[in-house]
Amino acid sequence: MSSLLLMQAVASGIVTGCVYALVALSLVIIYKSTDVVNFAGGELVMLGAYVGLLALTFFTLPYVTMIGLSVVIVFAVGALFERVALNTITGRRYAAHADLVPLVVATVGLGYLLKGIVRVVPYTEEVRRLPPLIAGPPLFFGDVILQRQDLAIVAVTIVVMLALTLFFTFTRAGKALRATSQNPRAAALIGIPVRRMRMAAWGLSSAIAALAGILLAPKLLMTPDMGTVVMLAFAAAIIGGFTSLPGCVIGGIVLGVVQNLVGVLLSPQAIAVTPFFVIMVVLLLRPQGLLGEALAPKKV
Amino acid sequence: MRSLKRLHHVLIGAALLALAVAPARAADPGLTDNEITIGLFGPLSGPLIGYGLDPLNAAKMLYEEANRQGGIQGRKIKLVVEDDKCTPNDLVAVVKKLTTVDKVFLLHGGSCTAAVAAAQDFVNREKIPMVMLNAAGDNAVFPPTPYVFGSFQATQRVYGSALASFAAQQLKAKRAAIIVHDDDYGNANLKTAKAVLERAGVQVVAEERIPPNISDITAPMLKVRAAKPDVILSGAYPAPAVLIAQKYAEYGMTDIPLLQATQGIPSPSTFAKNVGNPDALKNFYHTWSFTDIGDAAIHDKYIKLYKSYYPDREPTAFFVTGLPSAFMVIAALEKAGKELTRESFVKALEQTRVKPDVMAGELAFGPNRRDALRDVIVVRFDGVKQTVMPGVYTWNGTDGM
Repeated sequence: MSSLLLMQAVASGIVTGCVYALVALSLVIIYKSTDVVNFAGGELVMLGAYVGLLALTFFTLPYVTMIGLSVVIVFAVGALFERVALNTITGRRYAAHADLVPLVVATVGLGYLLKGIVRVVPYTEEVRRLPPLIAGPPLFFGDVILQRQDLAIVAVTIVVMLALTLFFTFTRAGKALRATSQNPRAAALIGIPVRRMRMAAWGLSSAIAALAGILLAPKLLMTPDMGTVVMLAFAAAIIGGFTSLPGCVIGGIVLGVVQNLVGVLLSPQAIAVTPFFVIMVVLLLRPQGLLGEALAPKKV
Repeated sequence: MRSLKRLHHVLIGAALLALAVAPARAADPGLTDNEITIGLFGPLSGPLIGYGLDPLNAAKMLYEEANRQGGIQGRKIKLVVEDDKCTPNDLVAVVKKLTTVDKVFLLHGGSCTAAVAAAQDFVNREKIPMVMLNAAGDNAVFPPTPYVFGSFQATQRVYGSALASFAAQQLKAKRAAIIVHDDDYGNANLKTAKAVLERAGVQVVAEERIPPNISDITAPMLKVRAAKPDVILSGAYPAPAVLIAQKYAEYGMTDIPLLQATQGIPSPSTFAKNVGNPDALKNFYHTWSFTDIGDAAIHDKYIKLYKSYYPDREPTAFFVTGLPSAFMVIAALEKAGKELTRESFVKALEQTRVKPDVMAGELAFGPNRRDALRDVIVVRFDGVKQTVMPGVYTWNGTDGM
């Protein structure tokens, strides 16, 4: 096995891992802020991509405007879902753990709803592709070949991860979001608008999902089922630690690289089972994930 | 001797009398003196709607044409249309509903093999003929079962055989790489292609089975590149087929011919747009079961007919895949004659051989044959223009079995 083959597999694995990581970031934001696991994360990615496609092909908007429009629309969808569905389910009370199951089930419902709505669009009858953010001939790093879009994906993933880490660590809004998740009652007592914060968290997460969709669509192609990538994003988040933003980026990259190495060294047939094998290993050796916080009962 | 002769006459007379007074045999469900009810189904919603919507419209169009010309043996065709979503659960539910509630005479539908195969037991138990709409159908026609007929645009075995024959005969390949999905259809394609290649003295230097939902095609394509093939055969579905073509160009392999089976390129123009790199299609070929690409008159004829029935719809290239099964059903109903029963229809299907102008080869079944088409052509596609390559490639019925 030549070293070139392995280097190319690792480089492509890093890019694919960043794809998983970007989606995983949107999941982790919701989890960190509201304790809810968002099973509609993949469909929000898909929605972002199809809004982008519609904006480009039907309304013939410029690429930058398309990105803005998609991010704003999907932000609104996420925020609206929190306000209309989740807020109603919690009975306008602050969610206790007992409320989490219906909330999670509601996200499953949102996923089906979005898929159903998107399928009405005629563009969904065939596999589609968005043009890449950065087009042009591939770049050569020695003998390793990468597309310009690949570099854009890596750069955006790192920027989003850093921005979110800074946001949650240093800003008042970020700290308020974390407080909302850790103890909503206490957060309300010190004047944090819990409902508004949750809405903002869903909006922010959905906006990142839309951005992920626009970046992924040129690489993974678009179908109404492209949201299944969320399973790999869950794997990335579990590997990196479901509460850690840098962790899920590392988890995504580990997953992407391991998948490619397994494909090259063993067989492409084994690629599909690799994420689940890696999850099992991580859960056995380090249940909180590579960078996750130690597991402890939450005080309410 | 005379008494024996008299007895003989008496017995014949008694038999004729018995026939005359016997109650008329009840007609099969879905059949009257002036109507035949057909249950027509395909994916009309969901992610695989592209495989079903236009083909089902095309089949409907031919039935309506038959009605316009007076029907079949004096009977008009009545259609009950259902959406099977191409999922086994939905398709089985549709088949049961059409059989037990709508009581159709025959079933005509199914665009996805796995879904069709799920209905096989029910159909054979109920003894209701089922003619697939446009599913490739390997699993539903091998081994043959009494009441399930299909593969009107050829099976994966036919595609595998055609790609391999074209590589060996026309491209004079010596080292072939094969990429297929890791499922029954991919494996049928692979097994057949390997058999044909090896017989032709072509070495198979790489065989990659990929998960159907693969998101990164890097690993298999790296292995293909490392094997240094002089031809690449792909049996991938639409999304992986695009990823393969993209990576093939990215890794600078465009001097090597890339041969793709039909299912990966349902709409050539969309495929080219999705690949997004004209270099990737410099040396690209695909199989096709129809003559519409090479013959503008045939293409225009069916497009015009389609537009006359559906003026607001621009059909995808895949719409022609709904035509052959409807042609076959109409021909077999004609052959079965006025005294039509489900059993006589099955018999007629087994004996009918038709070669519609739009097909690359003859459609035929037999007592032990349930796959209709074994001939396909190969088309070169450069992203804009499609050029039919010489020859028709025929599967021999044994390779890959």
